[in-house]
Amino acid sequence: MCGVLLTFEDRFIGKEASVSSLYFLAFAVIAIILGYGWYARSISRSVILPDPKRATPATMYMDGVDFTPANRHVLFGYQFKSIAALGPIIGPIVAVQWGWLPAVLWVIFGTLFLGWVQDYSSIMLSVREDGQTFGALSFRLISPRARTILVMFIYFYLLLLMAAFGKIVGFDLMTNPAVPLGVLLVIAIGLLAGQMTYKWKLDILLTTLITVVLAFAGIWAGTLPAVKSFMESLGGGAQSPLFFGNVTWAQFMWSLVVLVICYLGAVLPIWRWAQPINYVAFWIVFLGIAAGTLGLLIWHPSIPASFPAFTNWSGNLTSAAAAAGVDKSFTSLGPLWPILFVTIACGAISGWHSLVSSSGTARQLENESDGLFVGAGAMFLEMFLAILSILTAVVGIGAVQGFGKYADLIGSGKAGGVFALGLAEMMHHVGIPVSFGVSFGAVFLTLMALTIMYLVVRFMRVASAEFLGDSIPFFRNASFGSIVALILSAFLIYTGFWARIWILFGGANQLMASMALLLASVWLMARGKNYLWAFIPAIFMFITTVAALLWTAFAVFRQVATTPNLAVNIMVGNIAAGIIAILLVLAALILVWDGMKALRKLKTGALAEAKA
Amino acid sequence: MKNPFAAQGESSLGRQASRLIKVFRDVLYGATVYEMVRDLRKQRAQREHLFILVVFGDLIGVPILPPYYTLRLLPYALEAFPGWKRTLLRERDMTDLCDMEA
Repeated sequence: MCGVLLTFEDRFIGKEASVSSLYFLAFAVIAIILGYGWYARSISRSVILPDPKRATPATMYMDGVDFTPANRHVLFGYQFKSIAALGPIIGPIVAVQWGWLPAVLWVIFGTLFLGWVQDYSSIMLSVREDGQTFGALSFRLISPRARTILVMFIYFYLLLLMAAFGKIVGFDLMTNPAVPLGVLLVIAIGLLAGQMTYKWKLDILLTTLITVVLAFAGIWAGTLPAVKSFMESLGGGAQSPLFFGNVTWAQFMWSLVVLVICYLGAVLPIWRWAQPINYVAFWIVFLGIAAGTLGLLIWHPSIPASFPAFTNWSGNLTSAAAAAGVDKSFTSLGPLWPILFVTIACGAISGWHSLVSSSGTARQLENESDGLFVGAGAMFLEMFLAILSILTAVVGIGAVQGFGKYADLIGSGKAGGVFALGLAEMMHHVGIPVSFGVSFGAVFLTLMALTIMYLVVRFMRVASAEFLGDSIPFFRNASFGSIVALILSAFLIYTGFWARIWILFGGANQLMASMALLLASVWLMARGKNYLWAFIPAIFMFITTVAALLWTAFAVFRQVATTPNLAVNIMVGNIAAGIIAILLVLAALILVWDGMKALRKLKTGALAEAKA
Repeated sequence: MKNPFAAQGESSLGRQASRLIKVFRDVLYGATVYEMVRDLRKQRAQREHLFILVVFGDLIGVPILPPYYTLRLLPYALEAFPGWKRTLLRERDMTDLCDMEA
């Protein structure tokens, strides 16, 4: 045993030995074989018992709109596109502050024991319950008030998502002068794609070819020196002046542009704006991932010995960065448990997946036995994306520019920049120049964030119209509801401290995952099935996320109380973030209280009627 | 003389390759155009539901609009009627909106 540990230490953590980055990918492949091929299949066969002869909601209630059976491979693509956004990319890169080993282990074991469990059980729960979504299910299985709390919970969660994504795009990516023109041109080209498809009715292959080539040309145009210097001058020069608090003019301006883009995406018809832009963006993201993976396989550098496998328990880079010659002060992310487990959300487990799985995928499942391939399969593929993201930091940057560059970028709040630069270094090995690759990587991330952000604003405006439309009729107006959602988002973007906002977003996301797992446990128990495979992850995630949210609330209130001369915007943002964290915890406690009561009732057989 | 086993092997390999290409194409379709197709289906269903509303009086025997026109339209509306009934009567929930992007 000692020998094994010493070998591990020598191979992975030792200062002199080096290990190929391909081991990471091999480790991920083994996890997929074990997790999907053995654990997930055996749970499915012994507990869920999918019956290919049983009619699914898609075939039973087929209306050609929401309930429509789809081929399993088509649905796999749909599910993966719906669940993969900025989460599996940014979270793992930020979490590398504890060292790459904890990040890799949580991504792999999180997916193996929790991630796929949530996605698959959400799909099957909805399939077996007539295609009902989580609101209706929590109303029926947990308690009537659970539905209202869940929707409020989702609203706050989406608000945090807007703040976290808005800050990355507006403060980090768009402030790079080589990026904005590319993003704006890709959006314009997306609109052209919509016009070509829906109005001119051109062939989709021709449309794709023309628009994707134009999009690449647009990104390249953004890297031209004249364009860069113009964009820089718009942002107030190389050192953009402070506009208010600690927000520079460039950050303020580009965040505002992002919010305007989200507004247009929320109020314009979906075929006119969101859908065609998403379509062009998909090809950029797909080609980027393909080129990055291919480049990594050709290059397959060793993990640099200078890149720490483990830094310290508090995720503070100060001493590691100082050893690498970076003279910056870093804020501690927080204790490894629970903060790491919410910093990486989507790459390991994410509550958003349960919402997408129950409302979209479950209603299109043609055959019950397709559920595992679609739900668990897409989750394991996302795990692969998260591992690739870790590699952009560890080898993309670490093997070329060293650990110091990673620390420098993270210290400047540029987690998106880490991915862009790391991907560029990987793509360089398939012949793509690094200067273009960096802009491409930043546009890639911006588009990934935007495609989710304007759909989130759409959801928020419809939710506010439903809840407040009767008492405040203004909310029925699409523009009003969207503007209110954007003002709330802007408030957090301009005031919140990024690392805390990201942790809060991850905490809310993971808390929703624990709710989904709890709902699945109640459902399994009601049917007299083994529920521990969902219940144990639910308890683990609930305790972890509540601890993470409380710790974050404590950290932000402490910062306000103990830091002299704190900028007003940071003080206001910290207080708001702390209040949101406490509200989320209270909502979750009520939901869990009701969930436990439902479980107790089921155990005592009081809900025998429900079983029948 | 052709080796039957070799021929069988080639055709099997060819079949597997074409199957893999089809799977890849389906996955790409699911991640790209499928969303557009779903949205178009939704738009078509909305138009059809308006159409059914026009002829609804005749469906229940109450001539709301001049029956000369609506009765002639009725056969075209009947095909979409079961889907319309299900969509109209289905209980909706706020969390249904999470699928709104499609």
